[in-house]
Amino acid sequence: MNKTLRTFLRRPAGIVGLTLLGLVCLVAVLAPLLYPASPWDIAGMPFARPGEDGMVFGSDTLGRDIAAGVVHGARVSLIIGVTSTIAALAIGVTLGAVAGFAGGMTDRVIVRITEIFQTIPNFVLAILLVAILTPTLSTIIFSIGLVSWPPLARLTRSQVQSVAQREFVQAARCQGQSAASVLVRHVLPNAISPIIVTGSLTVAAAILIEAALSFMGLGDPNHMSWGYMIGAGRTVIRQAWWMSVFPGLAILLTVVAINLVGEALNDALNPRISRS
Amino acid sequence: MNRREFSKLLLATGTTGVAAQTGLFGDMVAYAQNGEGGLTAIIQPEPPLLVVALNQQIPVGIIGGKLYESLLSYDFDLSPRPQLAKSWTVSEDGLTYTFELVDNAKWHDGTPFTAADVVFSCDVMLKEVHPRARANFDRCESITAEGDHTVVFKLKEPFAPFLLAFETSSAPIMPKHLYEGTDYRNNPANDTPVGTGPFKLAEWVRGSHIRLEANADYYHEGEPGLTEIFYRVVPDGASRSVAMETGEAQLSQFSDIETFDVQRLADMPHLDLTTKGYEFFSPVLWYEPNLRREPFNDVRFRKAMRLLLDPNFIVERIMFGLAQPATGPIASTTKFYDANVTTYEQDVEKANALLDEMGLAKDADGKRITIHHLVVPFGEMWTRLAEYFRQAMSAGGIEVVLDSTDPGGFAETVSNWDYDTTCNMLYQFGDPALGVARSYISSNIRKGVMFTNTQGYENAEVDTLFAEAAVQTSEEARQERYSKAQQILCDELPVLWMTEQKFATLYDNRIADLIVTATGVNANFAKAHYVK
Amino acid sequence: MRLLRGIVTKLAGIVLAILVIATINFTLVHSAPGDPASVMAGQSGATDEKFLEELRAEYGLDKPFMVQLGTYLKKVVTLDLGYSYRQRRPVNELILDRLGPTLLLTLSAFFLSLIGGVVFGTLAGLRHGKWSDLAISLVALLLYATPVFWLGLMLVLIFSIQLEWLPAFGYVDMRASSFGRLEYAWDVLRHLFLPAITLGAIYMAVYTRLMRASLIEVAAEDHVKTARAKGLGEGAILRGHMLRNAALPVVTFAGLQVGALVGGAVVVETVFSWPGLGRLTFDAVTARDYPVLLGIFLVMSVLVIVVNILTDLLQRLIDPRIAVR
Repeated sequence: MNKTLRTFLRRPAGIVGLTLLGLVCLVAVLAPLLYPASPWDIAGMPFARPGEDGMVFGSDTLGRDIAAGVVHGARVSLIIGVTSTIAALAIGVTLGAVAGFAGGMTDRVIVRITEIFQTIPNFVLAILLVAILTPTLSTIIFSIGLVSWPPLARLTRSQVQSVAQREFVQAARCQGQSAASVLVRHVLPNAISPIIVTGSLTVAAAILIEAALSFMGLGDPNHMSWGYMIGAGRTVIRQAWWMSVFPGLAILLTVVAINLVGEALNDALNPRISRS
Repeated sequence: MNRREFSKLLLATGTTGVAAQTGLFGDMVAYAQNGEGGLTAIIQPEPPLLVVALNQQIPVGIIGGKLYESLLSYDFDLSPRPQLAKSWTVSEDGLTYTFELVDNAKWHDGTPFTAADVVFSCDVMLKEVHPRARANFDRCESITAEGDHTVVFKLKEPFAPFLLAFETSSAPIMPKHLYEGTDYRNNPANDTPVGTGPFKLAEWVRGSHIRLEANADYYHEGEPGLTEIFYRVVPDGASRSVAMETGEAQLSQFSDIETFDVQRLADMPHLDLTTKGYEFFSPVLWYEPNLRREPFNDVRFRKAMRLLLDPNFIVERIMFGLAQPATGPIASTTKFYDANVTTYEQDVEKANALLDEMGLAKDADGKRITIHHLVVPFGEMWTRLAEYFRQAMSAGGIEVVLDSTDPGGFAETVSNWDYDTTCNMLYQFGDPALGVARSYISSNIRKGVMFTNTQGYENAEVDTLFAEAAVQTSEEARQERYSKAQQILCDELPVLWMTEQKFATLYDNRIADLIVTATGVNANFAKAHYVK
Repeated sequence: MRLLRGIVTKLAGIVLAILVIATINFTLVHSAPGDPASVMAGQSGATDEKFLEELRAEYGLDKPFMVQLGTYLKKVVTLDLGYSYRQRRPVNELILDRLGPTLLLTLSAFFLSLIGGVVFGTLAGLRHGKWSDLAISLVALLLYATPVFWLGLMLVLIFSIQLEWLPAFGYVDMRASSFGRLEYAWDVLRHLFLPAITLGAIYMAVYTRLMRASLIEVAAEDHVKTARAKGLGEGAILRGHMLRNAALPVVTFAGLQVGALVGGAVVVETVFSWPGLGRLTFDAVTARDYPVLLGIFLVMSVLVIVVNILTDLLQRLIDPRIAVR
């Protein structure tokens, strides 16, 4: 592990990514201190330009502080990104592991299901799910999780398949350990690193899906989110560019940070594939 | 930044975008000449059909109103004017209405228009397919033709606003020879509308435009004054602004132009703005608590909510001036409005005092209670209204959780009374008996049906007042009862009236006599013409 | 014979997949509260019980779920996607109307991203480690992290509002009906420019990174070293020995991304008011127009399957070895 950490930290991408991500997390955690009032509060005059009326990023059509929205929006993005990835991992890794380990009919059925899910454009499915379930934090997380698992399942399956061939797994099986225990104790731990890497990238993708949903008016109306802010700013972009520019930069920054960390993780965890 | 600077900003940032793309005014002139007396208007959304009898959505009413007509039209003060009826008399007892019809009107297919068409429409077809017409004509004991050009409506009991029932989208007269004995909704004639109006359907390219052409056989000499009307479907708000700006479109109505963009366009040299022509509709917007639930059943709570809200905020920041604060259930442009009622100025302290008095104590976070608010899913204005409601309530320690839904879920939830608070806006149709009473009388508490007394308000006295006022024939007697009803309602606050909505009609200022009635853009445009 | 059987199996699989998708979607859509009748009634401004019942009976919404599903699947098999309550038109027609603009947009974006990705990826890969590689990689990294709708808005802000070069919204000018054929095509192209770039940019970033990595890997392979040892020019080596092999994984990956591309089109069409399937989807979701929604899902899924087959062919074209296998 130490060596992995050292490899990770030797990559400039990793350092930059980690720093940026740390910054975003810090802002998210400190949001209530930085802007104690609700980001929905009417803080000043409407259409204030950045810097005017004491609002660094300006205000929106009602006079709400954009900066407060950006800061509080970090929480929503991160929470949704991480939890929906956990949901996707739960579905994807389970199905993938079972398919890869059991093989045969089970494998064929699961592969089929995965393929069908990959055929339906995932963002469209997410729109439909959220619209039907009505948008709240939990339904959004559920929907993003449900459309994000197929790549994880495919990856897990191929990893498990290749690890399952190895001698120590065969040996464990011969010793009469149950299939489940072999899978959990011997196979998964050895197949996990690429899954972690892909998982970290899934967080970034989930943040982007959430932003797009909110942009289209399918966000949770009780939580200020970046996508919502951009959506609200869209119609007035001629009059108030700042309403969409700053939240967009926030998304960009966060997603870049996560991608950088993911890449560095990849290099550290899978030295075989990494190139210098 | 003050208001003036703000509109300057709008002007500066807004106008630059499109000028270069389309060559602002040069093209505009070329385009209008293209029509030679024609008008290009915006329509949004595209109507599913044009038969007003079968569908009363706004776009259907706008285009259908040029094709179909009813017996009357209405002045800005809502007094009746001739249309398919050239004159009318009302008996002393208020029970018999006799209409003399124009005798030279023809349907678009050439068949003469007669009293039989009116009887068929009002007594048979509309009662079957048109909920609002059904309510009006069910009051009739009989509807009969006397000869080809006289129709007599006999009422079971007097109904004062009966003359307001003959507006085109309330009672469109349909051709008997095409509809009698058919399955109305699936009649092939629905795709090729045949009316008596000054314009005929010429072409409909779905997703693009609907073209109407002048009806050469129209029964008024020299009308219509326009040769054709092009209705362009423009789904995007920003594109609609651009179209008006460049002259690609010459008329926009209702909410076509985003509220914050209206003034900028109105200031352009080739456009005029009017907010007249919506008197018949005069929508009033309110926040609606579900009175079946606690704490909304306590009038003190409703008063506290009202005191936390400021209609001026909504007028200025959400409607950008296209509204005015409402004082009560009846809009100031509707008949029998009375300003002499209890009014409420925003007063957070007083609101908190009321809530304290109710025993709703604040917890450590300053929160007294959590309520849910169902967000109306019809666009940004409604979202902003919900967001404002939440912020305003928080000043009184009332935490509001917003629930969002889609139009299907919204209608379902509200009509089945499964909400705490929501927002609503209803047309008044010119008379309290037509568009106001329905929201407050207990007989109109009907589960599963939208636009009824969904909040569940019950007050026997109010019921009586509305019932009596509807059947009184003297204006004074009606006014007396409506004034009393308005006073009671404003004291009891069954809903929290916020604003009287105004709509902006923007039009090319070379066109005259375009908006001449209380139904404005929904009227038939027979008199509209270019100024020579 | 084996080839034929392979094709038949594949087709059967596709049909099965489509039916399963249709069933899943039908179930999902029907589990939503509220039905199209209440939406329509709500929009018409006045309702009563009779009106609602009439609407429900007219559209068969009062029948049991399984009966509705059965009727639907039977129709799907005969390529009849049903009738839209709201728009009063057959779903087939509605979708066909919108398919053109969506195909134009997604295919432009697809090829733009693929070609751009290969070109920039090659440039970066060849100058591996130099500043131009760094610049390309950095831009790709940023683009990859940009929300597609935001990128669209920023392009509008710059190219339409500030520079006034390109139209911000729509498919063609409102006056297009009076245009000549060439003028019309030019106008569509001008309108297509920003949406296609918006939709293509992110994938271009992905393919650039992929192409770069792939090229670097291929460059280290023995046959390239041999070619170099034989004294072939760099250009010839690139064309003859590297490009094909390096592009292969990019094409494979691009094929897998088509589903996501179509999803992205929904957002891009919203930003640019592009009159395609994406906007139709969103309108149908909010209006509860079940038949349209289901129809779009099917068509999009078929589209994805077709493009997958196409990329399969493209792969064979690039790498003849696959055909032998």
